[in-house]
Amino acid sequence: MSNIKLDSNVPAGPNSEKWSKFKDDMKLVNPANRRKHTVIVVGTGLAGASASAALAEMGYRVKTFTIHDTPRRAHSIAAQGGINATKNYMNDGDSVHRLFYDTVKGGDYRSREANVHRLAEVSTSIIDQCVAQGVPFAREYSGELANRSFGGTQVSRTFYARGQTGQQLLLGAYQSMMRQVDEKAVELLTRREMLDLVMINGKARGIITRNLVTGETERHVADAVVLATGGYSRVYFLSTNAFNSNATAAWRCHKRGALFANPCFTQIHPTCIPVSGDNQSKLTLMSESLRNDGRVWVPKKKEDVKKNPNDIAEEDRDYYLERKYPSFGNLVPRDVASRNSKEVCDEGRGVGESGLAVYLDFRDSIQRLGESSIREKYGNLFHMYEEITAENPYQVPMRIYPAIHYTMGGLWVDYNLMSNLPGLFVLGEANFSDHGANRLGASALMQGLADGYFVLPNTLSDYLAKTTFTKASTENPEFKAAEDQVRADVKSLIEAGKKGTKTVMEFYRELGLTMWDHVGMARSEEGLKTAISKIQNLRREFHNGYKLVVQDEGFNKNLEVAGRVADFMELGELMAKDALSRRESCGGHFRVESQTEDGEAKRDDENFAYVAAWEYKGSVTDAVLHKEPLVFEDVHPSQRSYK
Amino acid sequence: MRTQKIISSSVFQKYLMAASGLGLVGFVITHLLGNLLLYRSEGTAFNNYAHGLEGLGGLLYAAEFGLLGIAILHVIVALTLTLKKRRARSTGYSSVLRSKGGKSKSNLSSRYMAVSGSILLIFIVLHVIHFKYGPGIAEGYSVDIKGETARDLHRYVVEEFQKPLYVGLYAGVMVFLGFHLRHGFWSAFQSLGTNSPKYSKPIYALGVALALLLSTGFLCIPLWIYFGASR
Amino acid sequence: MSNTPANPSAKSDPAKLAKLMTLNLRVWRQKSPKEAGKFAAYTLKGVSPNMSFLEMLDLLNEGLHHSGDAPVEFDSDCREGICGSCSCMINGQAHGPELGTATCQLYMRKFKDGDTIVIEPWRATAFPLVRDLVVDRSALDRIISAGGYTSVKVGPHAEPNSMLVSKDNAEKAMDAAACIGCGACVAACPNGSASLFTAAKITHLSLLPQGKVESHRRSYRMVTQMDEEGFGHCTNIGECQSACPKDISIDTIATMRREYMKAIVKS
Repeated sequence: MSNIKLDSNVPAGPNSEKWSKFKDDMKLVNPANRRKHTVIVVGTGLAGASASAALAEMGYRVKTFTIHDTPRRAHSIAAQGGINATKNYMNDGDSVHRLFYDTVKGGDYRSREANVHRLAEVSTSIIDQCVAQGVPFAREYSGELANRSFGGTQVSRTFYARGQTGQQLLLGAYQSMMRQVDEKAVELLTRREMLDLVMINGKARGIITRNLVTGETERHVADAVVLATGGYSRVYFLSTNAFNSNATAAWRCHKRGALFANPCFTQIHPTCIPVSGDNQSKLTLMSESLRNDGRVWVPKKKEDVKKNPNDIAEEDRDYYLERKYPSFGNLVPRDVASRNSKEVCDEGRGVGESGLAVYLDFRDSIQRLGESSIREKYGNLFHMYEEITAENPYQVPMRIYPAIHYTMGGLWVDYNLMSNLPGLFVLGEANFSDHGANRLGASALMQGLADGYFVLPNTLSDYLAKTTFTKASTENPEFKAAEDQVRADVKSLIEAGKKGTKTVMEFYRELGLTMWDHVGMARSEEGLKTAISKIQNLRREFHNGYKLVVQDEGFNKNLEVAGRVADFMELGELMAKDALSRRESCGGHFRVESQTEDGEAKRDDENFAYVAAWEYKGSVTDAVLHKEPLVFEDVHPSQRSYK
Repeated sequence: MRTQKIISSSVFQKYLMAASGLGLVGFVITHLLGNLLLYRSEGTAFNNYAHGLEGLGGLLYAAEFGLLGIAILHVIVALTLTLKKRRARSTGYSSVLRSKGGKSKSNLSSRYMAVSGSILLIFIVLHVIHFKYGPGIAEGYSVDIKGETARDLHRYVVEEFQKPLYVGLYAGVMVFLGFHLRHGFWSAFQSLGTNSPKYSKPIYALGVALALLLSTGFLCIPLWIYFGASR
Repeated sequence: MSNTPANPSAKSDPAKLAKLMTLNLRVWRQKSPKEAGKFAAYTLKGVSPNMSFLEMLDLLNEGLHHSGDAPVEFDSDCREGICGSCSCMINGQAHGPELGTATCQLYMRKFKDGDTIVIEPWRATAFPLVRDLVVDRSALDRIISAGGYTSVKVGPHAEPNSMLVSKDNAEKAMDAAACIGCGACVAACPNGSASLFTAAKITHLSLLPQGKVESHRRSYRMVTQMDEEGFGHCTNIGECQSACPKDISIDTIATMRREYMKAIVKS
């Protein structure tokens, strides 16, 4: 396993022709032979559900797994804003090339051009597909589809269904998948957690799962394994991600040899409701659109931070985004807005109980446009804010603070979305491929569905057609060994739970805090080294024991979490390691050592224009870095500026 | 197979419930219109009406059978639905289900349709025995209508409603009729799928008005007679 | 228009409001469907009004771990009211007292110091209990499986704007499509009916040209499946629309019945 060749398998030719060329050249599986192939899909978010539906429709036998009670709970459901596609309905000059260009630039030149171009190409097919499924996208009075502008792009290419676009797209994919369940083409296994990948003769041939209701471990064999298990934001404990989102399936694949790419690329969303207490379990995102009418400020003087904001005179307020970025003002990109919030809070000018918040003030827009107009635009968001904080944002400025929102890093995949392990495909947020160092708004939904509906069905078929499979069954020794290992791991998790004094949640929060403090919005060499040693100590302490009450092997959320926390404790270290080795700032990764004179992120294309793909070597501390150089043929790197 | 599934489906059963219910509402309205004649102190008009109905002969029988059929259907479907309800929640809540208010239509009337319905069923049986099969010409309740000897139902009614027990019972049961109709009328339209955002509210209001009108209309008759207003 | 005056009330400062409460909880504990369940009583101290209901349960569980007792199992995921995982019957009300709110969005400031709160799982024969407050809602998936989709395949489709949808219909479809599949409608219904859930999907798809094509088959199959799962019938009590965290109206149920009627008459 040590001689890893990082071959991205990108087809030859110009970016705009690669995907067509791939489709022309790919091998097909005879329809009669498709049912002889079983494909395992882990995860039922946008990528997993769409892949399951598409593969089953083609005739493959699909086994789909979810940790939830139903596939519709997957966290794609929570995406609010929208999905990008280059329909150019608004006649504002949009094109495949422009979306491709925006995405590569937005990702701060750390993504693979060929993948991004393909994403832009299939974006319109996604909209066609979803409309045909009955997704209730917003419409104009004409009855045509509506678009809005999102995430600071110059064109309006975002399709949306109120603030519930993720939900509607997921339900569309879920429903298509459930149709295949009814056709018996998809076998759906709910409340199953994937705990290991089974490799036979160098190919991914199955998984070991744990039935979360009974606690039993199970073996599942297939010709290919598709991982669509989402991102790892929960490594920070507090994030906008769901309680059950985790990295375990991906991490176990990593331990079996799959490379983990760009783990330090995480995205921080600037407008979330700040932390209010020690028992908080998640952070709630407030749509970015609020920055269109709200003004961000903190008091100029530290002594004013505890004052009632309405008592602070105009001249004592520091509208720092407007001051520093006169042309973009409050609408600077996510990473810039987030970093500046942190900066002013670090100066001691943060507001609220914890001092970790800035004001988002609607006073002036209410004065200018009237309360009713603001209510019409943001009524539901204001209501949500008031429900959570018990403050009325029409009268008192909102308090906001950045929170971890998305992870661009993930398992390394080639152009075919296959990891370096043959037969293991990785889709959606779980892979690293399309967003580089920063994801643009409304692009995550696009990627999940592009991967599942349009890319994987082709690339997986090609793999199945080209590969000769040895006969494998769950009786193979590899399965037995993997299952025994999983059983032993679960047992030791239970045993460790009898020994310590801190609960699993206490460890989880502690890990999250360390990650947030040192591997969060601003990262320094010193901080990252501190993080690594802190995480190592925490991991040691954790394995010595914690408090976990297990009445039997059956349903136990805290036992599930214990396993995930153990994996996060390793992944966290890898993130810090990756951040440490990437001595440049790019996108969501900001190294304080690498900034311009006015404190902006400074990329180092000469030394760091590569994908950092980490190989597991017995322990995370010994992980080895492999580099996939990034070549830019169409979009030439330039320094971003929002002045 | 398909037909069987359709007939036993919860939606179809509600069609039956609604259609039979509306049929019964129609009858109750006609019944009240006839009974309004009791508000006249002299019994001629009422007796003429009763006699006229009997004069319909076969047609009346047909109507009565039809009505009986509708009533039986209503009761049978109601029983099926009540049994289904038990099966759908084999383990009940330990705490009492409380309405959240808002747009909920949960109230005494909607929650206890089976209770009000059972009371009405018992009442109807007794009421038919009481008046339809009560004393007639042979027992001396006779009157002369255009040369024919007819039953003096009016006198019997007036006599019976001198008894406080009957007055109380009849008046009391009419309150349940009101409760049953308050939910039943609107619910029938909802079950038949005729409601929509536009019509739901007016139909609900109409149901409440009808319930009020029918129950007070019936309820006042025994009181009117008892307190001597008819004399 | 003058500037909104400064609001001196405590409302602007949650810190002052955040007086910790002590609550008396009665929580349903049941290890498995085979074993009998019972209420356990807990006194929980240190509940902040700014906690969500689920964070209050987290706090309870942390305490239980420390005292060596098995934690209370409950479903939760997104904790922002969209995934539909959480499912608590709180004092006889599905998702608690607030309208249009899932359990995860219910904040403890709606309760008072010293309150007794009774917490039960959803109860319906079609939702078998898993453990404590966790139930199995896969019956709802099977209803969707029976027809809650358009039978299109992945692949090329007509240009979306070749089939217009009035803004009004799109909005109404979205109102119905907002269902999060939490099952509160079933839990709150005195008859244990899943009509609101089923009707929401039938309505959503019947309002769009893409869904209309197979509306007969869909309504017939979904209603049949709903009945086969053992859900009760709908007697139009309408409590479901108050329990629904997404405010889905029972007008959808009227639509479902209309669609079903069309299905049996026309095919």
